Amino acid sequence: METILNTQFDQLQKAIEGIKEAKSKGQSTDEARIATTLMFVALKHANREVKHKIKAGRDKLHLEKCKVDLSRLQLQNLLYEVSHLKKEIVRCQKFKSRDTSLELLSDAEYSSELPDMAKDEEELSSHKQHLHRLDCELRLRKALDKQYSALLSSKQELLQDNLSHAQRYVSFAPALRTLQSATKPLHDALQLSLDVEWKLSAVVKYLPKPLYVLFIVLQSLQRVSEEQSFSAEVVGYESEAQMQELLKEKKCSTLNYRHTKMESGERDKIEEKTNLDEALAPHPLHICLTIGAAGSNQLVLQIRYFDLIKCATVWGQLNCSGNSNGQADANFVHYLLRHLYPNDLGNELPIPGIQYELRSSDLTAEECVRYLKAKDYGKPFCWLQSMCSIATVNSSMLYNHELNLNKNTKEIIDRIARRLNSWQRLSQQIRGLTFKDIDLYSLKENIYPAGLSCSLVQWTAITHEELHSQISDALNTSTADKGITYNSYRAVIVRGSAKMECFIRIPSNYPLEMPLWILNVHWNGCLTAQNNSAIKMMEFWTNSLQPKQLEPNHCVLYAQLFRTIYSFDIFLETEGSMQNTIEYNKEKPYISAFAKRSRSRPYKYIKKGSVFAFKQ
Amino acid sequence: MKQKDLKRAYNNVLAQAISDSNQYLFAGNLFGDIFVLRIKELDKGSEEPPGKLKIFPQGSDVDINYLTFHRDFLIVGAVGLIYGLKWNEEEESLATKRSWEVKIPIQVDAVEVPDVNSMWLDSENSILFAGCGDVVIYQVSLEDGRIQREYRGHTDYVHSVVGNAKGQIFSGAEDGTVRVWSTKQQQHTSMLEPYKNPNLLRPDWGKWIGAVAVNEDWLLCGGGPKASIFHLRSLESTCVFNFPGRVHLCDFVDDCVLIGGEHNHVQSYTLNGVLQANIPVEHTACYSAVWQTSPIKFISIAGFSNKLHILKDFRFLDSKIDMYGNVEGEENDLEEEDELIEKPLTVEAA
Repeated sequence: METILNTQFDQLQKAIEGIKEAKSKGQSTDEARIATTLMFVALKHANREVKHKIKAGRDKLHLEKCKVDLSRLQLQNLLYEVSHLKKEIVRCQKFKSRDTSLELLSDAEYSSELPDMAKDEEELSSHKQHLHRLDCELRLRKALDKQYSALLSSKQELLQDNLSHAQRYVSFAPALRTLQSATKPLHDALQLSLDVEWKLSAVVKYLPKPLYVLFIVLQSLQRVSEEQSFSAEVVGYESEAQMQELLKEKKCSTLNYRHTKMESGERDKIEEKTNLDEALAPHPLHICLTIGAAGSNQLVLQIRYFDLIKCATVWGQLNCSGNSNGQADANFVHYLLRHLYPNDLGNELPIPGIQYELRSSDLTAEECVRYLKAKDYGKPFCWLQSMCSIATVNSSMLYNHELNLNKNTKEIIDRIARRLNSWQRLSQQIRGLTFKDIDLYSLKENIYPAGLSCSLVQWTAITHEELHSQISDALNTSTADKGITYNSYRAVIVRGSAKMECFIRIPSNYPLEMPLWILNVHWNGCLTAQNNSAIKMMEFWTNSLQPKQLEPNHCVLYAQLFRTIYSFDIFLETEGSMQNTIEYNKEKPYISAFAKRSRSRPYKYIKKGSVFAFKQ
Repeated sequence: MKQKDLKRAYNNVLAQAISDSNQYLFAGNLFGDIFVLRIKELDKGSEEPPGKLKIFPQGSDVDINYLTFHRDFLIVGAVGLIYGLKWNEEEESLATKRSWEVKIPIQVDAVEVPDVNSMWLDSENSILFAGCGDVVIYQVSLEDGRIQREYRGHTDYVHSVVGNAKGQIFSGAEDGTVRVWSTKQQQHTSMLEPYKNPNLLRPDWGKWIGAVAVNEDWLLCGGGPKASIFHLRSLESTCVFNFPGRVHLCDFVDDCVLIGGEHNHVQSYTLNGVLQANIPVEHTACYSAVWQTSPIKFISIAGFSNKLHILKDFRFLDSKIDMYGNVEGEENDLEEEDELIEKPLTVEAA
């Protein structure tokens, strides 16, 4: 623009100078004036043009300015947003979800509770997994809540029901009272004493529930039974029971306290070392059950209850009225309880699921059983739990919960009494044989009238190893042991130059299984069941004696001993009949010395009326 | 001791028989149980577990003294009677009902019911010879069950009866004699008394003859006296076998002699008396051996133990088969509890 104007001005100046020059020269300037005037027109034009351009420039400037303003505004906005987001981030960082304080199910529990949900979360990130987990938890909790409310309402219903029933019974009471008073003359006439009250000493109510049940059942049985075959009493002081209850409450509250403390974050690192002694203390009250009539030998059973393992144990002991050797008797009480029922050896805790509960107190079932044994608390037999109405699971995982307590308890007590009787008789026989204070000659009178030529010279207890040094099929054929242990004895029977050694094995489950005899004859060499069929038959004849063949007042061991002695006599007499030098003559009444291809001997005793004989 | 264990420990098998089809082995014991073994089980490879036996109880009061097989009957020699049980080959089962019974007549002066100790079957003529505890040998027709004849002469009970195709019957008895009988003569035709031979007599063991066997030319017998072979015509002892125990079992097996009895081995000799095989057995005494050569060659030795001893080549022990404890359906038996119940102790007894 400058240039345009400048050129115009330059041209104008040139023209004016030309005019001035011409004027000074005095030349006519009209023509030049006209041309110069025209030049003004061009100047004017240029001026207008310049003005126009300036305007356009100003417009453009304005436009640009607007643009700048806009972008500036946008920038401002963004900045604002950034600061806002930053603030937001800080807030997020400071944010703390409540879910961390929630106690969630452990992984294992979670996958077991909701197996299908656990499956498809594998590929998710940990956060999403967590969210998913929370979601599931929520659902689970809702379901549980629903369940809870349902149970609550049903409880309410039951309570209502109970209440209405109670009301009904209460309404019966006056009617019953009038009925009772009305029938009183009838009772008197029939000599029924309904007024006798159930007097229970105050201590009974402090018994733990299972023992209480047992005690009440025993009391009722005692009242109905005619003869006093057993008696039960509660041993212990109520003050102790009260004390324990108090202690328990206290312990409970301290536990709660500790729990709350843990929640608040101060984790207590003091590990509680559970003392077996403390944890497995029996209830201070226990039941003492005495079986057997007063005056004779009595079996005393101490029944204790343990809160921790939720079962009762029994420890037996024999109260001897007369003379006896304690050791053998202590053993047999142990055997008796152990083999009362098959497969119930009391070697494990029979309470379903107890091992899981024990785990929480860092104990194992085996430890507990060992402890009970060491402390002479006895064993937790299944039959004992059934007497206390405790549900049991035995070693073969059979569940049992006895409900017919009266009948069951009576049966068990009868069984114990029967076994006790059997064992007492057996130990009496063993004692008689060991100390030789039995008279074989007078004892056998009512069994065999025929004369007895052999004599028992020795009866001693031997070790298990000594017995097993005998090679015998009979020892090896015994089926799986089932926890049966054995006592072994050796008897020596002599007649003339012949000697017989008998090895007797008495099983710990005695009345179920008979004592086993193994015979060795020393006469012209050693004859055993391994090398002589006649001795093997003899052994069979002794061992085949079955309880049902015994007459009521016969004793097993004596009967077996007689069988053996007579068989030995007969063996010597039959075998001797073939010898060159006859040492043994036929004394026993038998028909033929040999029969069958096996040349079996007449060991069997047959009695028909007054006629008796030995037969094959 | 439990009843079950008792039977296991004192199982006394006196009798065995093989079915006519040569497929089944029967073994009977003094507890009155008959065990049946499928013979083809013996031929199985050692990898497969052997099949179990079947048991057919005859009642605990029945002593099974002898078994033999005729057509489709198992003939049982018990006490005082012989009876037949039908054997159903398809179902592998023994009839529980006796198809027939022959009662041994009880002699006027008898005090005991006689055992049927040994039987010999003349299968061509369906005649059964039974040596019994009443010192008599009975000839029974299996067609009608009639006792056709009695052979009397022994003075003590008969241990063993065998016969041959010529119609001769041989019997060994507790009186120490072996008598030879003919179906056509009343009295015995000849008699052997091994105990009178000082080479044979074993003084402490008595004179009884426990087992007799015959083939075309030779007679084999033994018992208290040593086992020995006699020529059938001359009745002279030609060879003595030094079997160390009492003899309850002897037989001609192929061209050898098998001898067993109260000894822990069973021995096999050649006819010249050379010991060929000495087979250890678990039996306290062996009472029975049965054998066949086809379709499966084996010999089974039974006696006073719970095991059958099987020899496939007649010289070495192949296997021992348990009887009790190896019976089909035995696992299901529930254990019954048999408690000894005694009267309470009286105070003065204590």
